[in-house]
Amino acid sequence: MANTIKLEIITPSRLFYRGDIEMIIVPTLFGEEGFMANHSWATKLLDVGEMAVQEPGSQGFKIAAIAGGFIDVKDSIVVYADHAEWQEELDKKRAEADKVAAEEWLAQNRDSDKMDVRRAEVMLKKAISRMRVADGGRRAGR
Amino acid sequence: MAVSMQDVKRRMRSVTSMEHITNAMKLVSAAKLRRAKATFEKSNEQFHFITQSIAEIFNNTTSIPERYLEGTREIKNTCYIVLTSSKGLCGGFNSNVIKEAEKLIEEHSDDSCIVSIGTKGRDYFAKNGINIIADYPDPSETISFLATQKMSRPIIEQYDKGEIDEVILVYTSYLSTLDQQVKSVRLLPFNPETDPNVIKNEKEIEYEPSMEEVFNYLVPKYVETMLYSAIVESATCEHAARRMAMENATDNAREMLGELELNYNRARQTAITNQLIEIVSGSEAQK
Repeated sequence: MANTIKLEIITPSRLFYRGDIEMIIVPTLFGEEGFMANHSWATKLLDVGEMAVQEPGSQGFKIAAIAGGFIDVKDSIVVYADHAEWQEELDKKRAEADKVAAEEWLAQNRDSDKMDVRRAEVMLKKAISRMRVADGGRRAGR
Repeated sequence: MAVSMQDVKRRMRSVTSMEHITNAMKLVSAAKLRRAKATFEKSNEQFHFITQSIAEIFNNTTSIPERYLEGTREIKNTCYIVLTSSKGLCGGFNSNVIKEAEKLIEEHSDDSCIVSIGTKGRDYFAKNGINIIADYPDPSETISFLATQKMSRPIIEQYDKGEIDEVILVYTSYLSTLDQQVKSVRLLPFNPETDPNVIKNEKEIEYEPSMEEVFNYLVPKYVETMLYSAIVESATCEHAARRMAMENATDNAREMLGELELNYNRARQTAITNQLIEIVSGSEAQK
């Protein structure tokens, strides 16, 4: 059996996950990156996207959508995410509705305040990532 | 006994209705306290990891962006974030926080400004002519994490621009249902040496995309989480303090009722005795 490492995933509203895992794959700003036990210490910022956790002894991954944050890898891993949802908790219809709402807003308010436009773009990105995760994520075929 | 029965009766009625009110308020606060405490305990457990993890990162690096470190600029303007309640009748809860904040303001004779969460603090400092740069009147148990983000962003922006040089959080920390203590915590700038709880590590840490950017993300996050957990804690304390205050008020009212009852009985007895004397002396006179 491969080495395991302790993982804690925290969001503002709850302790999202706690347990020993074999591997976690997170979307860093430079693309997806996997961390296993005995990784060199690192602190990396995370993008909006999908996160995958492999528990010991299982072949597949537990998939969740996360909305940015950071990962702190030391002798244990701590992931902080602004928001996180497991695949099975996701409401695809709501994500779709959010996507449509963000798109409409962007179409109408192209030239409004920069911050607002950016916020809407992030909203859109989150909605798309949630929809993707709800459909099984990038690892659906495996 | 000079008190008339009617006077005593009237006072008894008013004290009884007061006792009903304080007792009801005590029950309400007890219920709210239970809920607030559950949130507090949950968030306390989680935020411990976040602040711990962030503090560890701060302490283990040599090149934090200079502006966030202590000693890199003279401290002229201090910003105090004061957490009070928006409702009264909670004993010394608000006045303790205000006293502590005032003490700090007096110690540093430099320019101070206030970010007030809760109306009680705002009202007090506005009356005393202290500059209030932002105020959030919502009751603290309704403030969400998102709202906290919106509160802390302008503070960090002003800090970055150099309009404020120091950020201090004054809030009530929860020790137990019966014991709360006012605490002041400095959020910015950091002084990595002063925190003995954090272990220094010599291992190299990899930062991505860059150390600078990681810190630019982490510092606001740190302020946000600290502020949010302080708000949650303060809300718990407010309810605990109110419950205590109302319990004391109810006890006092009951004690007072007992005394009044005694007075009333005495006055009644006096009246009866007087009447008896009148009757007896009247019949004596007829003989």
